[in-house]
Parts: sequence; C-alpha cells; structure tokens
Amino acid sequence: MEKAKIGAYQFFVLLLLFELGSAVLVPIAIGANRDAWIAILISTVGGVLLFFVYYRLYKFYPQLTPTEYMEKLLGKFFGKILAFAYILFFVYISARVLRDFGEMLLSFAYVDTPLFIVNTLFILVIIYALQKGIEVIARTGELFFNLLYLLAVIGFILIISSGLIDLNQLKPYLEQGWTTVFNVVVTETLYVPFGEAFVLSVILPYIKDTKKIKYAGIAGIVLSGINLSLVMAINISVLGIDLATRSQFPLLTTVQSIQIAEFLERLDVFFMVSMVIGIFFKASIYFYAAVSGTTILFKFKEPSKLVYPIGLVILFMSITIANSYSEHLKEGLDLTTRFLHPFFLVLAPVFLLAIAYVKNRKRKKK
Amino acid sequence: MKRKSFILVLYFGCFLTLTGCWSQKELTDLAIISAMGIDLTENGEYASTLQIINPSNVAGGLQGGGAGQGPPVSIYTATGSSIIEMNQRASKKLPRRRYYAHTNVLVIGEELARKEGITGILDAIERHQEFRMTAVIIIAHGVKASDLLKVLTPVDKIPANKIIKNLRFTEEQWGEVFTLNLQDVKKDMTAVGKSPVISGFSIEGDPVQGSKMENVQTSDPETTLSATGLAIFKEGKLVDWIDGKTARGTVLILDKIKNTGISFDWKDKKDVGTFQVIRMNSKNIATMKKGKPKITVEVKAEGYLSEIRTAVNLTDPKILIEMEDTIEKTIKEEILLAVEEGKKVKSDIFGFGQVFHQNHPKEWQKLKAEWHDVHFPELTVDVNVEVYIRRTGLRNNPSVLKQ
Repeated sequence: MEKAKIGAYQFFVLLLLFELGSAVLVPIAIGANRDAWIAILISTVGGVLLFFVYYRLYKFYPQLTPTEYMEKLLGKFFGKILAFAYILFFVYISARVLRDFGEMLLSFAYVDTPLFIVNTLFILVIIYALQKGIEVIARTGELFFNLLYLLAVIGFILIISSGLIDLNQLKPYLEQGWTTVFNVVVTETLYVPFGEAFVLSVILPYIKDTKKIKYAGIAGIVLSGINLSLVMAINISVLGIDLATRSQFPLLTTVQSIQIAEFLERLDVFFMVSMVIGIFFKASIYFYAAVSGTTILFKFKEPSKLVYPIGLVILFMSITIANSYSEHLKEGLDLTTRFLHPFFLVLAPVFLLAIAYVKNRKRKKK
Repeated sequence: MKRKSFILVLYFGCFLTLTGCWSQKELTDLAIISAMGIDLTENGEYASTLQIINPSNVAGGLQGGGAGQGPPVSIYTATGSSIIEMNQRASKKLPRRRYYAHTNVLVIGEELARKEGITGILDAIERHQEFRMTAVIIIAHGVKASDLLKVLTPVDKIPANKIIKNLRFTEEQWGEVFTLNLQDVKKDMTAVGKSPVISGFSIEGDPVQGSKMENVQTSDPETTLSATGLAIFKEGKLVDWIDGKTARGTVLILDKIKNTGISFDWKDKKDVGTFQVIRMNSKNIATMKKGKPKITVEVKAEGYLSEIRTAVNLTDPKILIEMEDTIEKTIKEEILLAVEEGKKVKSDIFGFGQVFHQNHPKEWQKLKAEWHDVHFPELTVDVNVEVYIRRTGLRNNPSVLKQ
C-alpha cells in the first residue's frame, strides 16, 4: 500500500467521474425503451444501497484494502484466491473500458487509424498517471471535474435553446409496464455503473476525513444517477426512441443535432472531450485497483513498477477481447453484466459483509 | 548531460508523432460537396449527383471581380447499384477527395421517391461519419435531382445555400414548405403513427440553360429554383403532392408556421383583407369517445391586420371581433382541406397517431396495425381556432371608408 492521502471531496469527484465514465456515452438501460431514465433513477436507489454494503465492509476494516480484508475474512487460501479473481476482473474490465474508448474514436473520428495505435496512446497516458500515484489521479480528477461540468452545462443550455427537446417523445410512460423496467435494473444498470462503485473501496483507506466518506459516496452516486438519467431522457426526447436505440453513441448524435444561429453546430468536440475524461478515470481506477491488488497479494514493494506490465496486459487484452464492436458489446451484455458483475459487485461483497458481521459479533461476545 | 540529451531526442521524437497526420487531408485536396442528389436510372441503378464547390470562384464573386471566371459549383455524376459504391465510383472523375462534412442538402429524385422510397437509401448516409444528419432533405418535384442541382442561382452563389435559405425564409414568412433535416425524416419514418412530408423543389425554365453561367449573368435568370409543395409519403414512398392552401394547412397542423399572411373574405368580397400572423401555435389533442378516436386541433394565432381593401370601420372593436371569426373560419377551412387530403391518400402526415400513442397507449395497441389505412381516414377531426387581432398597423381606417 502506498502512502497517500485523499480528501473526501476528491473521493466524491473520483466516484462521480468513474460512474459517469463510459455510461454517459453508450445507451444504458435502453432495454427499458422510453423508460430508460426511470430505470436509471431506480438503479440509483439500488446503487446507494450497494454503496452501504461496501461502506460497511470498509467500516469493519478502515485501514485495509479489499485484498487484505478478504484474507482476514475467508482465511489465507480462499481469501487469496478471491483476491486474485478480483485482480483478473479489474484487469478485464479495464481492458473493456479501453476497448470502448478505442471503438468510439474509431467509429466516428479516426476511421483510418488502427485500434492498436489509439489504445496504445491512451494506455500510455494512463500508465503515466498511475505511476504518479493515486493522489495525482485524484487531483487531476478535481481539475477535469470542473471542465466536464462546464461542458455539460453549456451543452445542456445549447440543447435546450436550440429547441430540440420534445418531451412528448418520452410518452407513453411505462408502455411495457414496470416488469421491463425492473428487469433492466436488475440485469443491467444496477451493476453498470452503480455497482461498480465497489472498485473505489480500494482507495477508501486513503481518505483522511473518514466521517465524510458516507456523505461523499451517497452524493456521488445520487448525482451521477441524476445526471445519467437526465442525459438519457434528453437523448430520447431529442432523437426519438428509434434513433436513440439504433445509435451506437446516442449522446454524440444528440450533440450533433445542435444547430444554433448558423454557427453553433457540429459540436462533436463536446462529446469527444467528455469521452476522454470519463474513460480516462474509469480505466485508470480499474487499472489502479488491479495494481493495488497485485502489490498487496504478491507483496511487491514498489507498486509503480507494476504499472508497466499490467498496462501491457490491459492493452493487448483490449484488442484481442473481441473481433468486432458488436462482439464486444454482446460479450459485455452476455458475459460481463450477466455473470461477472453480479458476482464481483454484489454477491461477493454481500457475502463478505455477512462473514464480517458474524466474525465481529463473536469477537464482541468474547 | 546524457539524461538531458536523451530528453531532447524524446522531444523531437514527439514532434514527429504528435502532429496527428495519420489520415491527414489537405484542404486543397478536398472536394467539398455542398449537395448530393440521388436518382433512379432506367435500369434500376442509382445515379448520384455531387455538387462540388469551386472555392476560388466563390471567393472571387464576393469581391465583385469574379464574374466570368467560372461557375461557383461543379457537378459530378456516377451510377452504381448502391449509394456508397456509386459515390466512390465518382472518384474516377473527381480530381480530389470527396468530403461530405459540409453536405447540407440531400435531393431525392421524384421517380426514386415514388418507386423505391427513401427508407433504404438513408441508411448509408446515417451510418457515414462525415455526413451530417442535420442536412436538409428535399424532393425534386417533377424533375430529376441531377437537373435540380445543376441550376446556377444568383444572389446566393452556391445553389445548396440558396435552397436552404429559400426553405428557411419561406417557412418563416409564408409557410407552404418547411425545413426538414434527415434526422427529422428518420424520426417520422420510424414512428408508427406518423408519415413524413418533405418539401419539394422544382425548376422553372430550361434545366440546360440553368446550368450555364449566363443564367446568373442576367437580371432575370431564365431558369430558377423554387420551393413547390410538399411530398406526402406513405410507407416510405412518395404518394402525392400537395400545394397552396392544403400545404399551408399541413404545415399549420405540424406547428411549423412562424409568420404568414392569411387572406380572408369580408361581406361577400373575396380576399379583401390580410391578417398578418406574428405568433401561431397548434396542438393536437387526442381523445377516445366510445372506442372511437377523435382529434382536436387547437390553433392559436395572434397578429395584426396588414391589408384591407374594403370599406370597414376598423376603429370599432366589435368589427374586429367579427373579423376574427371570419379569419378563424378561413384557417379552419385550410386545416380541414389538409386533413381531407391526408385522408384521401391514407397517410397520417400530421402525426395524429403519434399523439394517440403518447396519450392513450392502451387503445393505441388496437389501432396501431391499421392506423393509416382504416382508422385515420375515419378519424373525426375537430378544429378550434382562436384568432386575436391585436392592432391594425400604422393606419386605422382604410381610405375607402367614407366618413
């Protein structure tokens, strides 16, 4: 474990950037059709509950990272196996996020550039940032948070003032009923992005003002939930349900439709910048979790040296993971959100928490 | 020292790689396409027409000395069995790289719109990274898209710009046509309870003459482009054209009119007054009565009297209220004319079905399947118009009124 100190506000910013990350760019919860925004709002509530699970776990072991308390809770052997599985999971998701980044850039801007080049350049930036440590990432987060919100607010004003929003497109509400909405919540949006907050438990021990963690966490999840829901509602009301469903990146299409006063148009760069910022933090934090886990599990002294080999693994994984973007998405839905996320983000933490409860009660009785 | 020189080498290495010229496109190598036209050829293939800007001729023209240098745009054509294929084939004739990011107008030939429809051909455009969904779509009324794009236009040198401005200002000031971009068309086409209506453009005069520079070198061009009517689509195919009052009624229901002058009759005298609309909005309200769908079109118009050619005392508010009633009737007639036309071709161009879907989703499930063919033609449409004459311009009574 490196020596670092992070403020509660920085944690809030990191959480928010992490949650928005790639989720704001792709059509999340679109399985619920026009009610995607409702599904996201409901998932936010679920996300807050999940955060309490992670937070309770942290409360039992405020000085330890997940890798460490897994060993304490499950014993040396099983704890190590689970911790190792988590490292693989983090590496895999980090690679997926990197692939998302590359595919997005290639789909709409750098058509002729090979995926490898784009991903390499981006992973180099991430490697550089990680080598500097989590403190630097947190401070970068503060900086980019302002930029991202500035862009978001400007974009929001532009979309509204260009008169594109037709709220009737959101009607009829709940056409397919609550079942569809809850189905989407349980199989999709609860994990991505809200459940993913578990990854941030890796940095919880670094936070100085422990009392504020709870509020920072809840604020981060609620705010990101509202933001995501708002973005999806705007996408659907601007594009209509058909276009929003068929767009690979609905936010891009929405931003592209802005036309104000003959010159405020083609604002693709809004999308581009928010994409780079969001994906940078999402990939970095997953990456960091993998590095931190490996350092502790294999007792490395210098975590910064681990960044290069793991970075290479992520880079190559991001390219070999799928042959096409469609395969990548399909894999994401069928494998990741169906098996990996429920296990690593919900079942395992809840199980660990249960054990922690039992163990600590025993100790109290003694 | 060694470290410093290493960093220096790294710096210069960065210069080489960071210039971002992986797929660099020099400005002088780009053929900026201002408009694209798609036609159907006799043997069932597509024919594309690319209107390419000649940058030097456009700039020269602005400074006043550019006349006679050459046309501001050049036309390239190609045929092929798919949209992408034929456009790429056009590169055999083009000395430059085709660049679609500034393509603002897409013209569809009438024959193509009638026979094959527009659903399929829009896919390639939608998928393309360069092509913008904010490009305006028009239908070549009675002519080929290729002929339409060849016509050179005065005032606005680039014909594509003329088309866009033409549509925009007609929409703002008169209202028989309106601007519709590709995204709107896509939205309309995929909604079950709505069919698109697309503005048409036609050529007045000889197309061949219009493509020559002489066309813009006279004060009265022999060949001009003008917005004419709206094309009604059904299941992606053009089925009918509407024009005049019917077209304005349609645009009115679609709530796209900003400004327009409505002529009305006064005491047996035909069209003696004009009501100038400043603000107008319309709303479609769907209700279900005994299982039967019903639409109420509610229109509110506010404006002033801009012309009156008969003896009438405009200082009397009661007369103005009476006049409001007359105007209301005129607007109502126009709207009903449009609705009748839509019913005749069995295509819900007003989006009434969509309103039902949004507000009565359960009942809509039953109506959905046969909406355009059965339920829409039988639909009861009520029209409520409220007109407010706020003022009468700079004069009160017309001079024909003897006091």
